[in-house]
Amino acid sequence: MTRRRRCPGWVWFLAGLALTAAAAWFTGCDVGLLWARRDHLADILRRMFPPDWGYFARVWAPLWATVQMSVTGTALGSFLALLTAPLCAAGLGAVPAPVRHILRALVQVLRSFPALILALAATFLFGLGAFAGTAAITLYTFAIMTRLTYDDIDAAPDGAFTALTAMGAPPCRAFFAAVLPRIAPSYLANALYMLETNVRHSAILGYVGAGGVGLLLSEKLSWREYEKVGAILLALFLAVCLVESASACLTAIVTGRRKAGRGLRRAIIAASALLFLACTATVGPPDFAHASLRAVGNMLLGLVRPDWAFFFQGGTGGLGWLLLETAAIALAGTAVGAALSLPLALLGSGRLMPRGAAALFRLIPMAVRSVPFLVYGLVFIRATGPGAFTGVLTIAVCSVGLVTKRFTEAIDGMDMRAWDALAAMGVPALLRVRYALLPQLLPAFGSAVLYRFDVNLREASVLGMVGAGGIGAPLVFAMNRFQWPTAGAIAIGLVLMVWLVDLLSARLQKR
Amino acid sequence: MFLEVEGVSKSYDNGRVRALDGAGFAVAEGQFVSVIGPSGAGKTTLVRILNGSEQCDAGSVVLAGQRLDQARGRAKRSMQKRLGTIYQDFALVENVSALANVLTAAVPDMGFFPAALGLFGPDRRDRARRLLDRVGLADKADTPVQDLSGGQKQRVAIARALMRSPALLLADEPVASLDPVTGRQILELLKDIQRAEGLTVVMNSHNLDFARAFSDRLIGLNAGRVVYDGAADTPDEALTAVYAAAPEAAP
Repeated sequence: MTRRRRCPGWVWFLAGLALTAAAAWFTGCDVGLLWARRDHLADILRRMFPPDWGYFARVWAPLWATVQMSVTGTALGSFLALLTAPLCAAGLGAVPAPVRHILRALVQVLRSFPALILALAATFLFGLGAFAGTAAITLYTFAIMTRLTYDDIDAAPDGAFTALTAMGAPPCRAFFAAVLPRIAPSYLANALYMLETNVRHSAILGYVGAGGVGLLLSEKLSWREYEKVGAILLALFLAVCLVESASACLTAIVTGRRKAGRGLRRAIIAASALLFLACTATVGPPDFAHASLRAVGNMLLGLVRPDWAFFFQGGTGGLGWLLLETAAIALAGTAVGAALSLPLALLGSGRLMPRGAAALFRLIPMAVRSVPFLVYGLVFIRATGPGAFTGVLTIAVCSVGLVTKRFTEAIDGMDMRAWDALAAMGVPALLRVRYALLPQLLPAFGSAVLYRFDVNLREASVLGMVGAGGIGAPLVFAMNRFQWPTAGAIAIGLVLMVWLVDLLSARLQKR
Repeated sequence: MFLEVEGVSKSYDNGRVRALDGAGFAVAEGQFVSVIGPSGAGKTTLVRILNGSEQCDAGSVVLAGQRLDQARGRAKRSMQKRLGTIYQDFALVENVSALANVLTAAVPDMGFFPAALGLFGPDRRDRARRLLDRVGLADKADTPVQDLSGGQKQRVAIARALMRSPALLLADEPVASLDPVTGRQILELLKDIQRAEGLTVVMNSHNLDFARAFSDRLIGLNAGRVVYDGAADTPDEALTAVYAAAPEAAP
């Protein structure tokens, strides 16, 4: 009989709780302050609704630019990812191992940067406007899609590929014949998911001048024209709803959950191609007026020769401190967001609530999700002032959408057979929850929270742009002042932090 | 008699589906009884009524002199403590270890807080490990159930049922989702345990060969009624009534 004493679950739980409490203390979370200033928030909300209906007419053009950036960026990025992923996959042996490792490392580095930072960098190269935004969304999509796709290729059984190459088929053709059909459904589903998130991401790119509805949003927010902000947000919500329902419908078709005839398929492909062409053809041309080879050279040089003094500087102004603050904002925000999501998920589950009520409660996270996260930052800052606490609130509210969705899926997917068996043994209901349901839910909840933490870490690193603490403010200042060595040092710090958290969460996932 | 079932009826969908229609029989202590019959004869409903998962519309179920069908709340739970059930689909919590699954059977005997915190104590843990050893899974105690084979899962479920020290073991198609060889091994284990502990077993089976080979007595259900009650080694002709309405299910 083997007897391994394993650390019981509640020790991990307490450790996580203590860490979160420390993060909350570090970021100066103060519920009292939020409560005392609740009128400010209520006031802003009251002024947003009803929105300024007349302003709608002005919103359509920038909204179209936003959709345009996300469609073109997603399509191009996903396509490039499909070309690069086979080179990064271990099983195919397309390139020698060292090259593969370098490629994977580059993708990982690219993945560490939030879309907003990529967009800011792109505006230095391509000038202000939608072209820079499209470039940023393309890069961002490329990095994430490459990672997802090579993971898929590695996970797919390689028997057919090996058989074809053994018969003398060139690797490229063997890939198209044997591997591509296997990964296609998941690849398309991932691309559609990217499209959904990219609509929200590109809605804020205007904040750094990269086109779309974001410029308008930040302008109206800073002029405190909340009626117009309300109109923009409502239009954005409608756009997000449209894209999400179209994407949900297409995802059901590509994953085979819904049957589609040949004619319908052709119509969908034709419509997608038309949409892509319409979006791509109307993107404004880049403006190279301010870009020069020297500027590009300086940018890259900053990454290669960063400001090491700043990198290793201690104290409250140093890089370590700022990164720690960013991580603490992400951690505390994720924890608060998860706590907010649990009741919403229970209310939105078709298992526990009447169907109509559940559908109504599902609208809340969807509405919350459609608002770009910087908008929350700019609203909360009116109540709680600049600082890390505003960042925590922002991250918390942003987390609600996705985490609630994943929680609801876990609750709806519960297996109730063990519940019935325990009931037949005479186990009381509360203990049945403890022994039959929690073991099923906790791993799903845990992975949802970990995934969101990973996303939040990136979002927290741009919150500084609106004064909500963390590494964002110094990074954007450095970039705007062309202090590339400082920006390089911050970028390297960011990459290291994201990489470290990736390693940690991979280890936690295994448990 | 140890278990007395009298005139038990149960219908679903406001009386449109009649699962049991006045079924009645009695089982002596230590007997291994198989309930046979075609699909839809009411076998599963019978087990769900016998273990208290469902209420019958009419009739009575008396277990060791107590009315199970009229018991509610605490009294019912204390009667359920004397029952163990194993299921066709195992009904285990898939992503926790075999040991943790067996230990859940100890929960009804514990106070709320020790149970909620999972403080089972060394005695219960030792007992759970001994039971896993008994069903041949000593080395799988810490393995998550989802990594076990079907036969191993059913062994875990048997250990969980035995953890209750049951007087009556109910088995609802225990081998229907297993291959014949594994199924036979599971039934041999069940029979072995039944003999050694003097357990009373009521097993549902649509597999007549298994039912004949392992039980002392057959009860044939058809359309919710008992149409055969007698020896296990009866010739096929005696069982025609059991499979009458559903000839395609006949052996």
